[in-house]
Amino acid sequence: MTASLFSRLDQHQPSNPDSCSIRLNGIEHQVPRSMSVAAALLYLGQRATRTHPVSGQPRAALCHMGVCFECLVTIDGQQSQRGCMRPVTANMSIITTSKGQSE
Amino acid sequence: MTQIYDYLMVGAGPAGMAAAIEASHAGLKVLVLDQAATAGGQIYRNVSHASAAQQQVLGPDYGLGKPLLKAFMAAPCDYQPLAQVWNIEPHAQGFTVAALIDGRSVSFVASDLLIVNGAMERPMAVAGWEKPGVMTAGAGQILLKASALLPKQVVLAGSGPLLLLLAHQYRAAGVTITALLDTTPRSNYWRAMPWLLAGLSMPKQLFKGVWLSLVQRIRVPYFSNVTDINIVGNAEVKAVRFMVAGKEYEVPTNLVLLHQGIVAQTQMAQTLACKQEWSDAKQCWQTQVAEAGQTSVPGVQVAGDAGAIGGAQLAQLEGRLAAMARVKQSCTHSSWARKMAYLALSWRIRQLHWARGLVDRLYQPAPWLSTPTGTTVVCRCEQISAAEITDIAKAGCAGVNQLKAFSRAGMGPCQGRQCGLNLGYLVAQAQGRPMAQVEPLSVRPPLSPINLGQLAQAIDL
Repeated sequence: MTASLFSRLDQHQPSNPDSCSIRLNGIEHQVPRSMSVAAALLYLGQRATRTHPVSGQPRAALCHMGVCFECLVTIDGQQSQRGCMRPVTANMSIITTSKGQSE
Repeated sequence: MTQIYDYLMVGAGPAGMAAAIEASHAGLKVLVLDQAATAGGQIYRNVSHASAAQQQVLGPDYGLGKPLLKAFMAAPCDYQPLAQVWNIEPHAQGFTVAALIDGRSVSFVASDLLIVNGAMERPMAVAGWEKPGVMTAGAGQILLKASALLPKQVVLAGSGPLLLLLAHQYRAAGVTITALLDTTPRSNYWRAMPWLLAGLSMPKQLFKGVWLSLVQRIRVPYFSNVTDINIVGNAEVKAVRFMVAGKEYEVPTNLVLLHQGIVAQTQMAQTLACKQEWSDAKQCWQTQVAEAGQTSVPGVQVAGDAGAIGGAQLAQLEGRLAAMARVKQSCTHSSWARKMAYLALSWRIRQLHWARGLVDRLYQPAPWLSTPTGTTVVCRCEQISAAEITDIAKAGCAGVNQLKAFSRAGMGPCQGRQCGLNLGYLVAQAQGRPMAQVEPLSVRPPLSPINLGQLAQAIDL
């Protein structure tokens, strides 16, 4: 992960009661509850959501509205879920695909 | 037993909400299916939960959605959020709409359908647009509305009202806009000139548009008539290169937001075999509709930006008119007051569409963006370049659907939503045919992804 390109307008605090705990690639993070999975990844500085099966290059969400299918991640064991269409929930497990895995 | 609805809307944006309010109060059994967690569509996304700080940055127009949302939530209709419609097909009593809800497929039956799932942003295939760190301006606005996320620094590139509005909102929130690259071709200003009168019929909107456009030129590093955008960097974006009047520039950035207008989402109507038409003014395929959204398929209407793009205000009026027309079918008697209200509404819609003619012509996409060249990725899902597509188009293919079979472009998970238009433009250019003669990509279910287990369970029912 790298530095996030985005920050919260209202400087959200991790201790805020509005936040919940998720696991991103096995590591626990606190994120605001209102976010989509794709938004949470951006917020946490996870810039790539998947590795492209043809080019092997990293890809990330383009549209955040369910059209581009670039934000496909594994959510609670279910593969190829559009991260932008799913709000984060407490104890959700998110896995971004890495090289060698299918999309 | 499956409940049979009189009227089913797919989409809870301005058009869907207005239609549901009208039809349910008139006594029809109404169901609204929406893919988002809260109603409002993209334009009023999260409007009921947005913080004061978000609302201040987004401006007063965003708040206009609040009364509509309140009326919708109070309307006597069924509303199902987080429903992904994956199939629509004819049924003995109308239509079956299958949607994934909470991981399970649920089928609904309705005698009549109103497709109001809105528009998407016109894909902007520039060199390097597949890199992480490139998103659309619409995505930027969604992140602001739904998640209160603002970029720390950004380059905005493209053309159209949304791009200028986002620049304005970002600036108000203190975001560093490293550059605004305007790709609107100079010739568009001349092309739009005859439509100035149409624009003048809505002086408030026109004034707002002109002001938005001028203020960016003063307050933001602004480049006009930009061409040849190239987003560079290996795994992540490092800079944007571009040309202005033969001179090359480079601006360092980690984030680029692209936008060049919006196009109708026609997939659902196409699944039902509703006739499509090419709009030269809007430069996109749209579903052929009559006055109140009636398509070529009886029982199916389309309203709002899912039909002819017109924006939120028009969508709301079109949704209401479509519902009034549907209600009229079920009533043996229609009062004079209702007839007059229908006529007035339909006249207002026609007037607003005419006024929209100015925006349509002013922000038509630049030709170099419609027909990319070289290694620029056109089909992101299958990683097919512009050169590969052009070669096949020149060698001879009947249209985009044969091109798809030859090249795999359009076969990936997005089902051609991101490449379909560019494939059409490239075929049209290579073969010297007008766009209207290059048919759109065919659509096949599922409209959104469904796994085999879910599919098997859906068939069992």
